[in-house]
Amino acid sequence: MITISAKSKKRIGRVAPFIIKSLIGLLFISPLIIAVFFSLQVEDELTMPPLHLFTKNPYFSNFLEVFQKVPFFTYLKNSLIVCVGAITIQIIVASLAAYGFVFFNFKFKKVFFALVVSAMSIPGEVVVITNYVTIQNLGLYNTYLGLMITSFVGSTSIFMMRQYYMTLPKDYKEAAELDGCGNLRFLLKIATPLSVPTITSLAMYLFVHIYNAFFWPVLVTGSMDKRTVQVGISFLVSGDVVRYSQILASAIVAILPTVILFIFGQDYIINGMTKGGIKG
Amino acid sequence: MSGLALRRMKGQNVGYLFILPAIALLLLFTYYPFIRAIVLSFALTNKRGNFSKWVGFANWVRVLKKAEFWKVVGITLKMAAINLTFTFSIAMIFGLMATKKVKFSKFYQTLYALPMAIATSPAAAIFLFIYSKHNGVLNNLLGTEVAWLLNQKTALWSVCAMTIWQHVGSCFIFLLVCFRNVPDELLESAYLDGAGPLRRIKDIIIPLASPQIFFVLFMSINSSFKTFNQIKLLTGGGPANATKNLIYYIYENAIIHGRFETACVQALFLFVMIFILTRIQFLCEKRFVHYQ
Repeated sequence: MITISAKSKKRIGRVAPFIIKSLIGLLFISPLIIAVFFSLQVEDELTMPPLHLFTKNPYFSNFLEVFQKVPFFTYLKNSLIVCVGAITIQIIVASLAAYGFVFFNFKFKKVFFALVVSAMSIPGEVVVITNYVTIQNLGLYNTYLGLMITSFVGSTSIFMMRQYYMTLPKDYKEAAELDGCGNLRFLLKIATPLSVPTITSLAMYLFVHIYNAFFWPVLVTGSMDKRTVQVGISFLVSGDVVRYSQILASAIVAILPTVILFIFGQDYIINGMTKGGIKG
Repeated sequence: MSGLALRRMKGQNVGYLFILPAIALLLLFTYYPFIRAIVLSFALTNKRGNFSKWVGFANWVRVLKKAEFWKVVGITLKMAAINLTFTFSIAMIFGLMATKKVKFSKFYQTLYALPMAIATSPAAAIFLFIYSKHNGVLNNLLGTEVAWLLNQKTALWSVCAMTIWQHVGSCFIFLLVCFRNVPDELLESAYLDGAGPLRRIKDIIIPLASPQIFFVLFMSINSSFKTFNQIKLLTGGGPANATKNLIYYIYENAIIHGRFETACVQALFLFVMIFILTRIQFLCEKRFVHYQ
């Protein structure tokens, strides 16, 4: 008798904290839970008090109506073009720079690296207005290139790639040189394949950031056909006709890509976030 | 021998080519616009934001003399303080709660971090529904009929609540990673010495993780000043400028009113403000942080 109760006591001691911690977590994400439940209700249910979280007959057509009313696929296509383009180029630029900083000794190397690091202390928000002027002067307003170009470089990604390359043994490079392997071939065939985990983390982290960007895309897009998902949704939100059922449904659709990526790629994203800043 | 050395020297200069794209882009989109903002703050601009003529300190004097500007600065500081305090405290609590890895701990770890993956537009869509005066979720729960976003007293806190909700996640992740870096043996021996969970947090985890905690604090100060999307989507700076912070003011001046020189002065003011605060923080770090 006594042994059993001791055992179950121990079990409660383990299960109770888990349940409490999980309930706090669910409470924390309750806005998302609310959005999911109410996106399945008819507009009348949402306007007639009181609200009920559960509905007898869930109405899935809100989602269909969103796709009919709003050019959601255009927005999604634009977001994907911007994300893929910006992430690819940022990673290439960062790999090249990191390679230069790690494997070469040239004059003013420290000065150039200081330039990369100090860029972090100039917040993007401080330069956003003058960048907007630059984009207009370059004739890139309302173009994909204009949407992407400020994300082509990131101090954090240079930093992260540099930290990875520093762990590569210098012998690799020397051996490759003796075999007559040029720099680009070394970077492409040896350094890059070895850094795939770092690149994956970086790419996922950047995806969440760039897909979710709002300030810059809202400044540099002028027409519907260039709007990203975030800009498109914001127009729905600030529109004249407020139909919460559809707004909630569109919000759910818009957050799906990043939420799914976050749930399954969490470890990579955490890696990507913390490697650049915290020396682990 | 010397021939090889020479070839090596030349080979080293190839390094410039590798860093060239990154440096060129940084110069073009970080340093050039920053210097340009300084230049334009002493000039008049045309409608497209390009230089038209020098005016000396006139812009600075005009901006700094305006009462509205100081009200905006006050709101910026208030918002930053609220965001920082709550984001950091909640993230600390979540971080300490999730430090110990157990079976399924990943479940609540994911829940605490998840809102960081939600962009502001959809988040605003959801919070507009929650805050709605007519049959909104919050009013239903409280049995009230408050227009949370249109009321002078509640608008600022409502905007902050959503901002905090979105920011806790990344702050939590950083803290979690550094709490988990604290060596297990130390915690184990403290436990055997009879230190309770609070003692272990106060005397071991926090001191050992303090360099990283300061780093997270530095990041949070930075981001707490930069609320823009939330304001743009929830209140548009209203009611009666109650939620207008510096970044929103900059946006309004440049993009809506086309007064780029005014916006540049304000942007530089924001830069100086963040710069001074982070310097102060670095000074504190030297005094309080425990390095191993």
